[in-house]
Amino acid sequence: MTIAEGAKYVAAAYAVILVVLAAYYLVSARRVSTLRRDVELLEEEVRRRAPKPGTD
Amino acid sequence: MKKVLSAPALFVGSGIFLVLGLLLAFWYSPVDASTMGYSQKILYFHAPIATAALLAFGVAFVAAVLFLRSQDPKWDRLGVVSVRVGLLFSVLVMATGMIWGKAAWGVWWAWEPRLTTFLLVCFLYAAYFVLRSVVEEEQRRATYAAVFAIIAFIDVPITYLSTRLLPEGLHPVVLGPGGGGMPGNMLVSFMISMFGMMLLLAALIRRDLGIEDLKERVADLKNSIGG
Repeated sequence: MTIAEGAKYVAAAYAVILVVLAAYYLVSARRVSTLRRDVELLEEEVRRRAPKPGTD
Repeated sequence: MKKVLSAPALFVGSGIFLVLGLLLAFWYSPVDASTMGYSQKILYFHAPIATAALLAFGVAFVAAVLFLRSQDPKWDRLGVVSVRVGLLFSVLVMATGMIWGKAAWGVWWAWEPRLTTFLLVCFLYAAYFVLRSVVEEEQRRATYAAVFAIIAFIDVPITYLSTRLLPEGLHPVVLGPGGGGMPGNMLVSFMISMFGMMLLLAALIRRDLGIEDLKERVADLKNSIGG
C-alpha cells in the first residue's frame, strides 16, 4: 500500500474520531446548559411559592 | 486538587496530550515497515480508545459491586455514566478498527477472536441500557443493572486476552507479554496518546456525572413543588 492510499484510511479514521467526540461533547454541553436553566427556573418557582416572612 | 480534577481541566489536559500524541505520531514516529505501512498510524488513537473503553467497563464493574454492597445511588450513577462513555469509545473502536481492517487486511470485518469478542462487549453493554429502560422502579432498576454490569464484565478480560489465547487470529499483539513490541519513538507517541485518552475518559465521566447530578436536582425540585 502506498502512503497516499494509506493516508486516505488514516484520515477517515481520525475524522470519525473527531466528529463523534465533538458531537458527543456538544450534545452533553447542550444538556448541561438546559438542565442548569431548568434548575434555575425551578429554584425560582420554589422561592416564589415559599411563604413570605410575616405573612400567614 | 479538586480544581485539577474538574471536568474542564481534564478536557484541557486531554486535548494537550492528544494533540501532542498526534503530532508525534505523524512527524516523529516512523512509518511502519511491515505490511501495514502508513495505515498503522491509526494505532495511535485506536488502541488507546479500546483501552479506555475496557477501562470504563471496569469502572462500571467496580461501581456495580459497590452499589450492591452499599445500595448508595451515587454508585449507580457512576455505573450508568461509565457504561455510556465506554459504549461511546466502543463505537469509535469498531469504526476505526473497520477502517484499519480494510486498509491492512482488505476486508471491513473478519469474524476473528478480538473483533468478535469486542462486538459482543458492545451488544452486552447496549443491552444494559435496554434493561434500565424496561424497569421502572428506581431501586430495582439500579440493582438489576448492577448485577447485569457484573455479568457483562466477564467478556472484558476475554476480549483483552483473546489475541493472546487464540494467536491464530488476524489481530496482532503489540504490547505486553507475547507482544511484538514497538520501536522507542513509536512507543513515546503511543504512550502520550494513551495518557491523553485516559484523561479524556476521566473528563467525560466527570462531566456526565455532573449531568446526572443536575438531573437529580431537577427531579428533587419538581417533587418539592409537586410537579
